[in-house]
Amino acid sequence: METRQLDVRGTKCPVPIFRAKKEIDGMQAGDVLEVLATDPGSVSDFQGWAKTSKLAVLREQRTEKDPTGREVYVHVLERRG
Amino acid sequence: MAEAGPATPSIEVGDLLSRADAGEPLLLLDVRNDEEFDAWRFEGRRLIETLHIPYFDFIEDAPGCVDRLPRNREIVVLCAQGGSSAMVVDTLREAGVGARNVAGGMVAYGEYLQPVRVPVDAAEAVSWEIWQVNRRGKGCLSYVVRSGREAIVVDPSRDVQWYEGFVRRLGARIVQVLDTHVHADHLSGGPALAIRSGAPYFVKAGEGFELRQPVEPLADGQELRLGGEAGVTVQVRIMATPGHTPGSSSYLVGRRHLLTGDTLFVKSVGRPDLGGHVVEWGRALFRTLRERLAKLPEDTVVLPAHYAGPDEIGPDAVVAAPLAVLRRTVPELQIADEEVFVAAMRAALKPPPAAYAEIIRANLGLVEVEGDKATEWELGKNQCAARTMPAVS
Repeated sequence: METRQLDVRGTKCPVPIFRAKKEIDGMQAGDVLEVLATDPGSVSDFQGWAKTSKLAVLREQRTEKDPTGREVYVHVLERRG
Repeated sequence: MAEAGPATPSIEVGDLLSRADAGEPLLLLDVRNDEEFDAWRFEGRRLIETLHIPYFDFIEDAPGCVDRLPRNREIVVLCAQGGSSAMVVDTLREAGVGARNVAGGMVAYGEYLQPVRVPVDAAEAVSWEIWQVNRRGKGCLSYVVRSGREAIVVDPSRDVQWYEGFVRRLGARIVQVLDTHVHADHLSGGPALAIRSGAPYFVKAGEGFELRQPVEPLADGQELRLGGEAGVTVQVRIMATPGHTPGSSSYLVGRRHLLTGDTLFVKSVGRPDLGGHVVEWGRALFRTLRERLAKLPEDTVVLPAHYAGPDEIGPDAVVAAPLAVLRRTVPELQIADEEVFVAAMRAALKPPPAAYAEIIRANLGLVEVEGDKATEWELGKNQCAARTMPAVS
Protein backbone atom coordinates (compact mmCIF):
# COMPACT_ATOMS: atom_id res chain seq x y z
CA MET A 1 0.00 0.00 0.00
CA GLU A 2 1.36 3.34 -1.02
CA THR A 3 0.09 6.90 -0.45
CA ARG A 4 0.87 9.42 -3.14
CA GLN A 5 0.20 13.13 -3.22
CA LEU A 6 -0.81 15.13 -6.30
CA ASP A 7 -0.51 18.90 -6.07
CA VAL A 8 -2.77 20.65 -8.58
CA ARG A 9 -3.14 23.87 -6.62
CA GLY A 10 -3.66 26.87 -8.88
CA THR A 11 -5.05 24.85 -11.78
CA LYS A 12 -8.63 24.84 -13.02
CA CYS A 13 -10.78 22.12 -14.49
CA PRO A 14 -10.14 19.80 -16.29
CA VAL A 15 -6.55 19.63 -14.95
CA PRO A 16 -7.21 18.22 -11.42
CA ILE A 17 -9.24 15.24 -12.65
CA PHE A 18 -7.20 14.77 -15.82
CA ARG A 19 -4.02 14.37 -13.74
CA ALA A 20 -5.68 12.36 -10.96
CA LYS A 21 -6.93 9.87 -13.54
CA LYS A 22 -3.38 9.48 -14.94
CA GLU A 23 -2.01 8.84 -11.42
CA ILE A 24 -4.74 6.35 -10.50
CA ASP A 25 -4.15 4.44 -13.75
CA GLY A 26 -0.52 3.85 -12.69
CA MET A 27 -1.30 2.74 -9.12
CA GLN A 28 -1.94 -0.64 -7.46
CA ALA A 29 -5.19 -1.77 -5.82
CA GLY A 30 -5.47 -0.27 -2.32
CA ASP A 31 -3.04 2.59 -3.02
CA VAL A 32 -4.19 6.02 -1.90
CA LEU A 33 -3.95 9.31 -3.78
CA GLU A 34 -4.32 12.66 -2.01
CA VAL A 35 -5.15 15.46 -4.44
CA LEU A 36 -4.56 19.05 -3.30
CA ALA A 37 -6.66 21.49 -5.32
CA THR A 38 -7.68 25.15 -5.01
CA ASP A 39 -10.53 25.17 -7.55
CA PRO A 40 -13.81 25.15 -5.54
CA GLY A 41 -15.50 23.39 -8.47
CA SER A 42 -13.23 20.39 -7.87
CA VAL A 43 -15.35 19.32 -4.86
CA SER A 44 -18.43 18.33 -6.85
CA ASP A 45 -16.32 17.33 -9.88
CA PHE A 46 -14.44 14.67 -7.86
CA GLN A 47 -17.75 13.40 -6.43
CA GLY A 48 -19.17 13.13 -9.94
CA TRP A 49 -16.09 11.50 -11.43
CA ALA A 50 -15.86 8.92 -8.59
CA LYS A 51 -19.42 7.82 -9.43
CA THR A 52 -18.46 6.85 -12.99
CA SER A 53 -14.81 5.89 -12.50
CA LYS A 54 -14.00 2.20 -12.74
CA LEU A 55 -10.72 2.56 -10.81
CA ALA A 56 -11.10 5.40 -8.28
CA VAL A 57 -13.10 5.43 -5.03
CA LEU A 58 -13.53 8.77 -3.22
CA ARG A 59 -12.70 8.09 0.44
CA GLU A 60 -12.73 11.60 1.89
CA GLN A 61 -12.93 15.28 1.06
CA ARG A 62 -11.78 18.02 3.41
CA THR A 63 -10.95 21.71 3.28
CA GLU A 64 -7.67 23.04 4.68
CA LYS A 65 -5.85 26.35 4.52
CA ASP A 66 -2.34 26.65 3.13
CA PRO A 67 0.23 29.07 4.68
CA THR A 68 -0.97 31.92 2.45
CA GLY A 69 -4.52 31.53 3.81
CA ARG A 70 -5.76 30.06 0.54
CA GLU A 71 -8.44 27.36 0.81
CA VAL A 72 -7.19 23.96 -0.29
CA TYR A 73 -9.60 21.16 -1.15
CA VAL A 74 -8.12 17.75 -0.36
CA HIS A 75 -9.63 14.81 -2.23
CA VAL A 76 -8.58 11.38 -0.94
CA LEU A 77 -8.96 8.64 -3.56
CA GLU A 78 -8.29 4.92 -3.38
CA ARG A 79 -7.40 2.73 -6.34
CA ARG A 80 -9.92 -0.09 -6.72
CA GLY A 81 -8.91 -3.73 -7.14
CA MET B 1 -8.39 12.11 -24.14
CA ALA B 2 -6.67 15.11 -25.69
CA GLU B 3 -5.31 18.09 -23.77
CA ALA B 4 -6.77 21.33 -25.13
CA GLY B 5 -4.54 23.20 -27.55
CA PRO B 6 -4.53 26.88 -28.46
CA ALA B 7 -6.13 26.12 -31.84
CA THR B 8 -9.41 24.87 -30.37
CA PRO B 9 -12.19 26.50 -32.44
CA SER B 10 -14.47 28.62 -30.30
CA ILE B 11 -17.56 30.80 -30.33
CA GLU B 12 -18.18 33.90 -28.22
CA VAL B 13 -21.20 33.97 -25.86
CA GLY B 14 -22.75 36.93 -27.72
CA ASP B 15 -22.56 35.12 -31.08
CA LEU B 16 -24.00 31.97 -29.59
CA LEU B 17 -26.92 33.87 -28.04
CA SER B 18 -27.67 35.68 -31.33
CA ARG B 19 -27.71 32.39 -33.20
CA ALA B 20 -29.83 30.66 -30.57
CA ASP B 21 -32.28 33.59 -30.39
CA ALA B 22 -32.60 33.52 -34.18
CA GLY B 23 -33.70 29.90 -33.95
CA GLU B 24 -30.65 28.20 -35.47
CA PRO B 25 -30.81 24.46 -34.74
CA LEU B 26 -27.87 24.30 -32.35
CA LEU B 27 -26.89 21.31 -30.28
CA LEU B 28 -25.41 22.39 -26.97
CA LEU B 29 -23.27 19.88 -25.07
CA ASP B 30 -22.96 20.95 -21.44
CA VAL B 31 -20.01 19.16 -19.79
CA ARG B 32 -20.32 20.54 -16.24
CA ASN B 33 -21.04 18.28 -13.27
CA ASP B 34 -24.65 17.40 -12.33
CA GLU B 35 -24.83 19.90 -9.47
CA GLU B 36 -23.74 22.86 -11.59
CA PHE B 37 -25.91 21.77 -14.53
CA ASP B 38 -29.00 21.49 -12.31
CA ALA B 39 -28.38 24.85 -10.64
CA TRP B 40 -27.86 27.10 -13.67
CA ARG B 41 -28.40 26.59 -17.41
CA PHE B 42 -27.45 28.40 -20.58
CA GLU B 43 -30.70 29.82 -21.96
CA GLY B 44 -31.62 31.46 -25.25
CA ARG B 45 -34.89 33.18 -26.02
CA ARG B 46 -35.91 29.93 -27.69
CA LEU B 47 -35.33 26.49 -26.26
CA ILE B 48 -31.84 25.21 -27.08
CA GLU B 49 -31.48 21.46 -27.61
CA THR B 50 -29.07 20.47 -24.84
CA LEU B 51 -27.16 17.30 -24.00
CA HIS B 52 -25.47 16.84 -20.65
CA ILE B 53 -22.37 14.66 -20.35
CA PRO B 54 -19.87 15.71 -17.64
CA TYR B 55 -16.31 16.28 -18.90
CA PHE B 56 -14.94 13.70 -16.46
CA ASP B 57 -17.01 11.06 -18.26
CA PHE B 58 -14.93 11.96 -21.34
CA ILE B 59 -11.76 11.58 -19.27
CA GLU B 60 -12.97 8.19 -18.05
CA ASP B 61 -14.33 6.85 -21.34
CA ALA B 62 -13.90 9.15 -24.35
CA PRO B 63 -14.99 6.66 -27.07
CA GLY B 64 -18.14 5.74 -25.13
CA CYS B 65 -19.11 9.42 -24.81
CA VAL B 66 -18.33 10.22 -28.46
CA ASP B 67 -20.63 7.37 -29.51
CA ARG B 68 -23.54 9.10 -27.77
CA LEU B 69 -23.26 12.16 -30.04
CA PRO B 70 -24.68 12.69 -33.53
CA ARG B 71 -22.09 12.87 -36.33
CA ASN B 72 -23.94 15.12 -38.72
CA ARG B 73 -24.29 18.24 -36.57
CA GLU B 74 -22.04 20.96 -35.32
CA ILE B 75 -21.91 20.70 -31.54
CA VAL B 76 -21.29 23.65 -29.24
CA VAL B 77 -19.55 22.61 -26.00
CA LEU B 78 -19.98 24.49 -22.73
CA CYS B 79 -18.45 24.19 -19.24
CA ALA B 80 -17.93 26.43 -16.21
CA GLN B 81 -14.96 28.46 -17.44
CA GLY B 82 -14.12 27.13 -20.90
CA GLY B 83 -11.20 24.82 -20.02
CA SER B 84 -12.89 21.44 -19.77
CA SER B 85 -15.11 22.17 -22.77
CA ALA B 86 -12.01 22.99 -24.86
CA MET B 87 -10.58 19.59 -23.98
CA VAL B 88 -13.84 17.91 -24.98
CA VAL B 89 -13.93 19.86 -28.28
CA ASP B 90 -10.43 18.61 -29.15
CA THR B 91 -11.45 15.05 -28.31
CA LEU B 92 -14.57 15.31 -30.47
CA ARG B 93 -12.70 16.80 -33.44
CA GLU B 94 -10.07 14.07 -33.26
CA ALA B 95 -12.95 11.60 -33.49
CA GLY B 96 -14.33 13.41 -36.54
CA VAL B 97 -17.21 15.19 -34.77
CA GLY B 98 -17.60 18.89 -35.63
CA ALA B 99 -17.48 20.92 -32.41
CA ARG B 100 -16.75 24.39 -31.10
CA ASN B 101 -15.98 25.66 -27.62
CA VAL B 102 -18.03 28.36 -25.86
CA ALA B 103 -15.24 30.80 -24.95
CA GLY B 104 -15.14 31.50 -21.22
CA GLY B 105 -18.00 29.11 -20.43
CA MET B 106 -20.71 29.96 -17.90
CA VAL B 107 -18.52 32.65 -16.33
CA ALA B 108 -18.50 34.55 -19.65
CA TYR B 109 -22.23 33.87 -20.05
CA GLY B 110 -22.84 35.34 -16.57
CA GLU B 111 -20.92 38.50 -17.45
CA TYR B 112 -22.11 39.09 -21.03
CA LEU B 113 -24.05 42.35 -21.51
CA GLN B 114 -26.50 42.83 -24.39
CA PRO B 115 -27.79 46.38 -25.02
CA VAL B 116 -31.34 46.63 -26.42
CA ARG B 117 -33.00 49.91 -27.32
CA VAL B 118 -36.33 50.46 -25.55
CA PRO B 119 -39.04 51.68 -27.96
CA VAL B 120 -40.34 55.16 -27.08
CA ASP B 121 -42.81 57.52 -28.80
CA ALA B 122 -41.51 59.23 -31.92
CA ALA B 123 -41.87 62.61 -30.21
CA GLU B 124 -39.80 61.38 -27.24
CA ALA B 125 -37.19 59.71 -29.43
CA VAL B 126 -36.27 63.11 -30.87
CA SER B 127 -34.68 64.17 -27.60
CA TRP B 128 -33.75 61.05 -25.63
CA GLU B 129 -33.35 57.28 -25.60
CA ILE B 130 -33.29 54.44 -23.09
CA TRP B 131 -31.13 51.36 -23.52
CA GLN B 132 -31.89 48.26 -21.51
CA VAL B 133 -28.64 46.41 -20.89
CA ASN B 134 -29.51 42.74 -20.48
CA ARG B 135 -27.10 40.60 -18.50
CA ARG B 136 -28.55 37.47 -20.06
CA GLY B 137 -26.86 34.85 -17.88
CA LYS B 138 -28.06 36.35 -14.63
CA GLY B 139 -31.33 37.96 -15.73
CA CYS B 140 -30.08 41.36 -14.49
CA LEU B 141 -31.16 44.53 -16.29
CA SER B 142 -29.36 47.85 -16.12
CA TYR B 143 -30.15 51.02 -18.05
CA VAL B 144 -28.52 53.85 -19.93
CA VAL B 145 -30.66 56.95 -20.46
CA ARG B 146 -29.19 59.46 -22.91
CA SER B 147 -30.31 62.92 -23.88
CA GLY B 148 -28.05 65.11 -26.00
CA ARG B 149 -24.51 64.55 -24.81
CA GLU B 150 -25.42 63.45 -21.29
CA ALA B 151 -26.21 60.00 -19.93
CA ILE B 152 -27.42 58.47 -16.69
CA VAL B 153 -26.50 54.88 -15.89
CA VAL B 154 -28.84 52.92 -13.60
CA ASP B 155 -27.97 49.66 -11.79
CA PRO B 156 -24.70 48.98 -13.64
CA SER B 157 -23.03 45.59 -13.29
CA ARG B 158 -19.42 45.50 -12.19
CA ASP B 159 -17.94 45.55 -15.71
CA VAL B 160 -17.77 49.36 -15.57
CA GLN B 161 -15.55 49.67 -18.64
CA TRP B 162 -18.34 48.23 -20.75
CA TYR B 163 -20.68 51.09 -19.69
CA GLU B 164 -17.95 53.67 -20.31
CA GLY B 165 -17.41 52.35 -23.82
CA PHE B 166 -21.11 52.12 -24.55
CA VAL B 167 -21.88 55.68 -23.42
CA ARG B 168 -18.87 56.97 -25.38
CA ARG B 169 -20.18 55.27 -28.53
CA LEU B 170 -23.53 57.03 -27.98
CA GLY B 171 -21.57 60.29 -28.13
CA ALA B 172 -22.29 61.15 -24.51
CA ARG B 173 -20.66 61.33 -21.09
CA ILE B 174 -21.94 59.93 -17.80
CA VAL B 175 -23.36 62.70 -15.58
CA GLN B 176 -25.12 60.60 -12.92
CA VAL B 177 -24.94 57.01 -11.67
CA LEU B 178 -27.93 55.54 -9.82
CA ASP B 179 -28.69 52.25 -8.11
CA THR B 180 -32.34 51.44 -7.42
CA HIS B 181 -31.32 49.68 -4.19
CA VAL B 182 -28.52 47.85 -2.43
CA HIS B 183 -28.43 44.72 -4.59
CA ALA B 184 -28.18 41.28 -3.02
CA ASP B 185 -27.66 39.17 -6.14
CA HIS B 186 -24.83 40.94 -7.94
CA LEU B 187 -22.01 43.35 -7.23
CA SER B 188 -22.86 46.91 -8.18
CA GLY B 189 -20.58 48.74 -10.59
CA GLY B 190 -22.19 52.01 -9.46
CA PRO B 191 -19.62 53.41 -7.04
CA ALA B 192 -16.66 52.54 -9.30
CA LEU B 193 -18.35 53.89 -12.42
CA ALA B 194 -19.19 57.16 -10.62
CA ILE B 195 -15.62 57.64 -9.42
CA ARG B 196 -14.13 56.87 -12.85
CA SER B 197 -16.48 59.23 -14.67
CA GLY B 198 -16.50 61.98 -12.03
CA ALA B 199 -20.30 61.75 -11.77
CA PRO B 200 -22.35 61.75 -8.57
CA TYR B 201 -23.59 58.38 -7.29
CA PHE B 202 -26.86 57.75 -5.51
CA VAL B 203 -28.32 54.76 -3.74
CA LYS B 204 -30.52 54.72 -0.64
CA ALA B 205 -29.84 51.94 1.83
CA GLY B 206 -32.55 52.85 4.34
CA GLU B 207 -32.72 52.59 8.09
CA GLY B 208 -30.58 50.03 9.84
CA PHE B 209 -27.91 49.91 7.14
CA GLU B 210 -24.43 51.33 7.38
CA LEU B 211 -23.71 52.72 3.92
CA ARG B 212 -20.08 53.58 3.32
CA GLN B 213 -20.30 54.43 -0.37
CA PRO B 214 -19.74 58.09 -1.28
CA VAL B 215 -23.33 59.05 -2.04
CA GLU B 216 -24.79 62.41 -3.03
CA PRO B 217 -28.32 62.17 -1.58
CA LEU B 218 -31.42 62.70 -3.72
CA ALA B 219 -34.86 63.26 -2.19
CA ASP B 220 -38.16 61.63 -3.01
CA GLY B 221 -39.79 63.68 -5.78
CA GLN B 222 -36.58 65.40 -6.82
CA GLU B 223 -36.01 65.68 -10.57
CA LEU B 224 -32.77 65.35 -12.48
CA ARG B 225 -32.58 67.16 -15.78
CA LEU B 226 -30.67 65.40 -18.48
CA GLY B 227 -29.49 66.86 -21.78
CA GLY B 228 -28.66 70.44 -21.06
CA GLU B 229 -29.05 71.69 -24.62
CA ALA B 230 -32.03 73.75 -25.78
CA GLY B 231 -34.91 71.45 -26.60
CA VAL B 232 -32.96 68.31 -25.76
CA THR B 233 -33.90 67.36 -22.25
CA VAL B 234 -35.61 64.68 -20.25
CA GLN B 235 -36.57 64.68 -16.58
CA VAL B 236 -35.78 61.77 -14.30
CA ARG B 237 -37.89 61.81 -11.14
CA ILE B 238 -36.79 60.02 -7.96
CA MET B 239 -39.59 57.98 -6.34
CA ALA B 240 -39.16 56.31 -2.96
CA THR B 241 -40.62 52.80 -3.38
CA PRO B 242 -39.64 50.89 -0.22
CA GLY B 243 -40.42 47.19 0.24
CA HIS B 244 -37.89 44.93 -1.48
CA THR B 245 -35.45 46.94 0.64
CA PRO B 246 -36.29 49.90 2.91
CA GLY B 247 -34.36 52.27 0.62
CA SER B 248 -35.60 51.01 -2.75
CA SER B 249 -36.12 53.82 -5.26
CA SER B 250 -37.73 53.89 -8.69
CA TYR B 251 -36.83 56.35 -11.42
CA LEU B 252 -39.45 57.83 -13.72
CA VAL B 253 -37.89 58.79 -17.06
CA GLY B 254 -39.89 61.30 -19.05
CA ARG B 255 -43.61 60.96 -18.54
CA ARG B 256 -44.07 57.22 -18.49
CA HIS B 257 -40.96 55.01 -18.38
CA LEU B 258 -40.49 53.72 -14.83
CA LEU B 259 -37.29 51.96 -13.81
CA THR B 260 -38.71 49.94 -10.91
CA GLY B 261 -35.61 48.09 -9.69
CA ASP B 262 -36.78 45.07 -7.73
CA THR B 263 -40.07 46.63 -6.64
CA LEU B 264 -42.17 45.34 -9.53
CA PHE B 265 -41.19 42.85 -12.24
CA VAL B 266 -43.18 41.88 -15.33
CA LYS B 267 -44.42 38.64 -13.75
CA SER B 268 -43.97 39.17 -10.03
CA VAL B 269 -42.86 41.55 -7.29
CA GLY B 270 -39.54 41.81 -5.44
CA ARG B 271 -39.12 39.49 -2.48
CA PRO B 272 -39.20 41.45 0.80
CA ASP B 273 -37.48 38.77 2.89
CA LEU B 274 -33.76 39.35 2.28
CA GLY B 275 -33.26 41.46 5.40
CA GLY B 276 -34.93 39.13 7.87
CA HIS B 277 -37.90 41.51 8.25
CA VAL B 278 -40.44 39.97 5.89
CA VAL B 279 -43.45 41.40 7.76
CA GLU B 280 -42.21 45.01 8.01
CA TRP B 281 -40.71 45.11 4.52
CA GLY B 282 -43.72 43.23 3.14
CA ARG B 283 -46.06 45.93 4.54
CA ALA B 284 -43.90 48.64 2.98
CA LEU B 285 -43.97 46.82 -0.36
CA PHE B 286 -47.76 46.49 -0.20
CA ARG B 287 -48.14 50.24 0.37
CA THR B 288 -45.68 51.05 -2.40
CA LEU B 289 -47.58 48.87 -4.86
CA ARG B 290 -51.12 49.82 -3.76
CA GLU B 291 -50.60 53.50 -3.03
CA ARG B 292 -47.56 54.92 -4.81
CA LEU B 293 -47.62 52.92 -8.02
CA ALA B 294 -51.43 52.91 -8.09
CA LYS B 295 -51.36 56.65 -8.81
CA LEU B 296 -49.36 56.23 -12.02
CA PRO B 297 -51.20 56.18 -15.34
CA GLU B 298 -52.09 52.94 -17.11
CA ASP B 299 -49.65 53.54 -19.95
CA THR B 300 -46.64 53.71 -17.61
CA VAL B 301 -44.02 51.29 -18.94
CA VAL B 302 -42.38 49.21 -16.22
CA LEU B 303 -38.69 48.52 -16.83
CA PRO B 304 -37.48 46.24 -14.03
CA ALA B 305 -33.99 45.35 -12.76
CA HIS B 306 -34.48 41.60 -13.21
CA TYR B 307 -36.39 38.88 -14.95
CA ALA B 308 -36.68 35.21 -14.05
CA GLY B 309 -36.79 33.49 -17.44
CA PRO B 310 -36.61 34.02 -21.21
CA ASP B 311 -40.43 33.99 -21.39
CA GLU B 312 -40.30 37.50 -19.89
CA ILE B 313 -38.29 38.85 -22.83
CA GLY B 314 -40.66 40.44 -25.36
CA PRO B 315 -40.62 39.92 -29.15
CA ASP B 316 -38.70 43.22 -29.43
CA ALA B 317 -36.04 41.71 -27.08
CA VAL B 318 -37.01 44.14 -24.30
CA VAL B 319 -38.19 43.09 -20.83
CA ALA B 320 -41.00 45.58 -20.18
CA ALA B 321 -44.76 45.82 -19.68
CA PRO B 322 -47.39 48.55 -19.31
CA LEU B 323 -48.79 48.99 -15.79
CA ALA B 324 -52.26 48.33 -17.22
CA VAL B 325 -51.19 44.78 -18.10
CA LEU B 326 -49.33 44.15 -14.85
CA ARG B 327 -52.32 45.30 -12.80
CA ARG B 328 -54.27 42.50 -14.48
CA THR B 329 -51.64 39.73 -14.62
CA VAL B 330 -49.20 39.93 -11.71
CA PRO B 331 -50.71 37.73 -8.97
CA GLU B 332 -49.34 39.80 -6.07
CA LEU B 333 -50.97 42.96 -7.46
CA GLN B 334 -54.37 41.27 -7.22
CA ILE B 335 -54.18 41.17 -3.42
CA ALA B 336 -56.15 44.10 -1.98
CA ASP B 337 -55.65 43.35 1.71
CA GLU B 338 -52.37 44.13 3.47
CA GLU B 339 -52.58 41.16 5.88
CA VAL B 340 -53.29 38.74 3.05
CA PHE B 341 -50.35 40.21 1.09
CA VAL B 342 -47.96 39.86 4.02
CA ALA B 343 -49.15 36.29 4.63
CA ALA B 344 -48.52 35.48 0.95
CA MET B 345 -45.00 36.92 1.21
CA ARG B 346 -44.31 34.84 4.33
CA ALA B 347 -45.65 31.72 2.66
CA ALA B 348 -43.38 32.34 -0.34
CA LEU B 349 -40.23 32.48 1.82
CA LYS B 350 -37.40 30.64 0.13
CA PRO B 351 -33.70 30.29 0.85
CA PRO B 352 -31.71 33.44 0.14
CA PRO B 353 -29.37 33.39 -2.88
CA ALA B 354 -25.84 32.11 -2.28
CA ALA B 355 -23.40 34.73 -0.95
CA TYR B 356 -26.18 37.36 -0.70
CA ALA B 357 -24.99 38.61 2.70
CA GLU B 358 -21.43 39.08 1.38
CA ILE B 359 -22.72 40.80 -1.77
CA ILE B 360 -24.84 43.24 0.30
CA ARG B 361 -21.82 44.04 2.48
CA ALA B 362 -19.70 44.69 -0.61
CA ASN B 363 -22.39 46.89 -2.18
CA LEU B 364 -22.69 48.89 1.06
CA GLY B 365 -18.95 49.49 0.82
CA LEU B 366 -18.11 47.54 3.99
CA VAL B 367 -15.80 45.06 2.24
CA GLU B 368 -13.90 45.05 -1.02
CA VAL B 369 -14.00 42.13 -3.38
CA GLU B 370 -12.53 41.44 -6.79
CA GLY B 371 -11.26 38.79 -9.16
CA ASP B 372 -12.16 35.12 -8.68
CA LYS B 373 -14.01 35.75 -5.42
CA ALA B 374 -16.32 38.26 -7.12
CA THR B 375 -16.96 35.79 -9.95
CA GLU B 376 -17.70 33.00 -7.46
CA TRP B 377 -20.17 35.14 -5.47
CA GLU B 378 -22.03 36.14 -8.60
CA LEU B 379 -22.45 32.63 -10.08
CA GLY B 380 -25.99 31.68 -11.01
CA LYS B 381 -29.19 33.42 -11.90
CA ASN B 382 -30.85 36.09 -9.78
CA GLN B 383 -33.54 34.97 -7.31
CA CYS B 384 -35.07 38.32 -6.56
CA ALA B 385 -38.75 37.67 -7.32
CA ALA B 386 -41.26 36.69 -4.65
CA ARG B 387 -43.12 34.22 -6.92
CA THR B 388 -46.01 33.50 -4.60
CA MET B 389 -48.04 31.74 -7.27
CA PRO B 390 -48.11 31.22 -11.02
CA ALA B 391 -48.83 34.28 -13.14
CA VAL B 392 -52.31 34.86 -14.45
CA SER B 393 -52.27 34.61 -18.22
